[in-house]
Amino acid sequence: MNPEPGFSFHDGSGKPDRMLIILTAALVLFGALMIYSSTSVVTSAMVKRHATTSLFYFKRHVMTIILALAAGVAAYKTRPRLLGRLSPFLLVISMGLLLLVFTRFGISAGGARRWLRVWPSTFQPSELVKLAMVIFLAWYLSRDFFEPDRLWKVLLPVGVMVVFQAVFLKQPDFGGTLTLGFITISMLFLAGARLRYLGGLLTCVLPAVFYLAHKPYRWRRIISFLNPWADARGEGFQLVQSLIAFGRGGLGGVGLGKSMQKLSFLPEMHTDFIFSIIGEELGFFAAGLVVVAFCALFLRSVRIANKMSEKYHYLLAWGIALMIALQAFINFCVVTGLMPTKGLPLPFISYGGSSLIVNLMAMGILLRLSKGEPPKAAPDRLKELLEKKKARRSVYGAGFGR
Amino acid sequence: MARSLLLSTAIAFAFFVVLVRLGELMLLDHQELSAKAASQYRREDHIEAGRGKIYDRRGRELAVSLDARSLYCDPAQVVSPRKVAMELSRAIDMGYPQVAARLAPDGKRHFVWIKRKLTEEQSDALKGIKLGPGLGFVDEPKRYYPEGALASQVLGYLNMDNQAQDGVEKEYAGTLTNKGGKVVVERDATGKILSQGVQLESKGDNIVLTIDDGLQYIAETALDEAMQKWKAKSASVIMMDPYTGGILAMASRPSYNPNDPGASPAGSRRDRAIMDVYEPGSVFKIVMGSAALEDGVVTPQTVFDCHGGRYTVGGRTFHDVEKNGLLTFEQIIQKSSNVGSIQVALKLGADRYYKYAKLFGFGHKTGVDLPSESGGYARKPHTDVALASMAIGYGVSVTPLQIVRAYSAVANGGYLVYPHVVSRITAPDGQVISSFNEQSKRVLRPETAAILKNIFSMVTQKGGTAEEAAVNGNAVCGKTGTARLFDPRTGRYSDKYASTFVGFVPARDPKIAMIVVFKAAKGAIYGGVVAGPVFSSIAEKAFAYLNVPRDDADQSNMVYLGKDEHGAVYTP
Repeated sequence: MNPEPGFSFHDGSGKPDRMLIILTAALVLFGALMIYSSTSVVTSAMVKRHATTSLFYFKRHVMTIILALAAGVAAYKTRPRLLGRLSPFLLVISMGLLLLVFTRFGISAGGARRWLRVWPSTFQPSELVKLAMVIFLAWYLSRDFFEPDRLWKVLLPVGVMVVFQAVFLKQPDFGGTLTLGFITISMLFLAGARLRYLGGLLTCVLPAVFYLAHKPYRWRRIISFLNPWADARGEGFQLVQSLIAFGRGGLGGVGLGKSMQKLSFLPEMHTDFIFSIIGEELGFFAAGLVVVAFCALFLRSVRIANKMSEKYHYLLAWGIALMIALQAFINFCVVTGLMPTKGLPLPFISYGGSSLIVNLMAMGILLRLSKGEPPKAAPDRLKELLEKKKARRSVYGAGFGR
Repeated sequence: MARSLLLSTAIAFAFFVVLVRLGELMLLDHQELSAKAASQYRREDHIEAGRGKIYDRRGRELAVSLDARSLYCDPAQVVSPRKVAMELSRAIDMGYPQVAARLAPDGKRHFVWIKRKLTEEQSDALKGIKLGPGLGFVDEPKRYYPEGALASQVLGYLNMDNQAQDGVEKEYAGTLTNKGGKVVVERDATGKILSQGVQLESKGDNIVLTIDDGLQYIAETALDEAMQKWKAKSASVIMMDPYTGGILAMASRPSYNPNDPGASPAGSRRDRAIMDVYEPGSVFKIVMGSAALEDGVVTPQTVFDCHGGRYTVGGRTFHDVEKNGLLTFEQIIQKSSNVGSIQVALKLGADRYYKYAKLFGFGHKTGVDLPSESGGYARKPHTDVALASMAIGYGVSVTPLQIVRAYSAVANGGYLVYPHVVSRITAPDGQVISSFNEQSKRVLRPETAAILKNIFSMVTQKGGTAEEAAVNGNAVCGKTGTARLFDPRTGRYSDKYASTFVGFVPARDPKIAMIVVFKAAKGAIYGGVVAGPVFSSIAEKAFAYLNVPRDDADQSNMVYLGKDEHGAVYTP
């Protein structure tokens, strides 16, 4: 497959993928607009969170976007290979932050402990974990050490995943658990792990799910997703309100800013359920366009991944593509009642600083990769500075995956 | 490559599934879900349009709407409900258990009233408390009656949900609210009203009554005094302009305060002057008198033998209070002789007699613009006994309003008027939208009316049944009535009496027609004794209030300053 004109995948001097930039920017700007729309009417629930003006969330979100852009640029400037080597440390750091949530630095909200107090706002380490995990997996699975046919070498990253998932469940953060699981299995699959291992892994998932659902309130939550109307004022309330929002939207929507559901009916209207407000205000076409945009973003990322010659880069690009796409997909499913889990924001669009910062960092990495890979033999000053190990030979070379 | 393709295809397909699901929700279920949405925004709660004011004839406010605040809560959001309940119960004078019960979350309700229509003191007390989340206020108009119990039965009242009950409030609910009552509003999940401006655009029209606040006060005070004296079961007074039918004052006892209607029993809200029917007794002799004179059956001087107060018709004997021998027609009415009246009625015959009962409107509603009026009962008598009974006011049932209307016809020279309490309706900006179309119908020749007026004036003069109804300085025309009350429980007449005095003053140029009725008064029974003095007391004060000159005053040095439309003379 030949690179497109204007792209050079033989060195790192190509231009970053314009399509990727346009799609991401469009989603982020659209998200800002919808956050303004969904929080422009101050509700009593908002007052409870000290959001007393109509611009409260919007202003904060704009600040977050600036911060996230800076983080994204920083990620773009960093060499992907360096990230890979640092990934075990990244993982350890994010685990540390994750555990810090359970100390007095943590904040609980809505029955979950997911946030760290970081002046002037909060930070959600589980978002960082996802990216760290993607980088770590790409790094680990591309190492010579990893052999897709050796069970214990396949199980090693699974073990890491399970440890993180255990902490996630403690918070609890089912959305994060699910995303992490999907990402890990998918990347193992892409790295060529034996299907029988993966199949065995999946059969282990079922009893685990049953064990977790054993607790009555979780069971109720699952039941309520199957028939939210049965308990429309209790467990099913949020989902019912979300479905009503979509239904009200119809083909063309009720008009920007005219959502009724945002007026205290949908409690998470600017975060996890912002897609419902999009559906209500702008209708089927706009909501469908958002889905299509995420799908396009995903396919474009996969395309970039497939152009990578180095296995690490290939897996890293794929992992980022998966991370964004799976989060979006799970969020879509949750708000439309196809999945029971809650507590997962829509990437780029939902209000929530940690998610936006991490996702833009991921896009920064992906954009860097889209520029093309520097020749592995090229002098790498940082590499020289950091360690004395000899440059590793790529097993997969230029022909990998073709 | 195979795995990459497979996975990317699977995820792209997953996105496609989301699209399909969106299509299902947003296109197929659009109608159904929209309906569900609408039903949850439109709550049962109503908010009232700014209700119009009610004024008396001189523009004094009788009913106004004040802005009152109501306190509500969303139990799910209230933090530390116990502490909040403690503070609230102190501030709004409500028991702690009651407040706590309303704050207790039941997982279903997100909007619970804690206390509606707070008083000003309670509102102020609440200002001192920091209300936590889940508590809020809704402005609800509260109806306030500045005069308290005055004219309460005419005005009516509003219940907690601002729905009009009784009186002008109910009869003119559509006018006062301008939109036939209520405006349905959209509310969000916490009960906050979303449709702004509803209250502003729909302001109700104002109503000006024919009731005069001052006369009403005079009438009610006199009624209260007499109630204390006679300990009657109930009492009513109606003061009417005999020329227009405009009701100047109307009151009944027992009464209630419309600012706090719950504090009095339901019976106290009954407007007895238009709702309670009774057998009127001798005051009904106006029908016999009018018929006989109008048809030329008698002259005032025609003499009848009253047989010493006993007379038997169809096997039934009727008695007089006084034993009289020969009486002229005018004396029959003056002394209220049953025997004489029966003879006149029998001479008239049922057809001619009943024609006049019907002409005066007995047996039919007067059409007064108040709810729940009774029409009474008056049918054509088919036997002599029935005719004889009817002649002296038995075997018919009437309301006090019907009687005062009949006497007004004599007062104004023979016209039957249409009683009403509303004189005009004005827009919020003061423009008159409509006023009462004053009609009347001739029922008596002026000559007949003049003769009757003269006869009725004799009632309060020496030898009449109501010397005590005479007003100093002004001749009073009137008629007494004393009738046994029929007890519907036993199906017999009880030993209780209805004592009535009806009349008009001053005789020469009547300004006021008035009826006073007491039921089951203790200590005296006769209309001239029980009701007569109340009549004269009210009339005397009313004349002072209206500046009606005394008949015996020297009017040569009086300066004529003009009269209002009701004949009251104004001083500068």
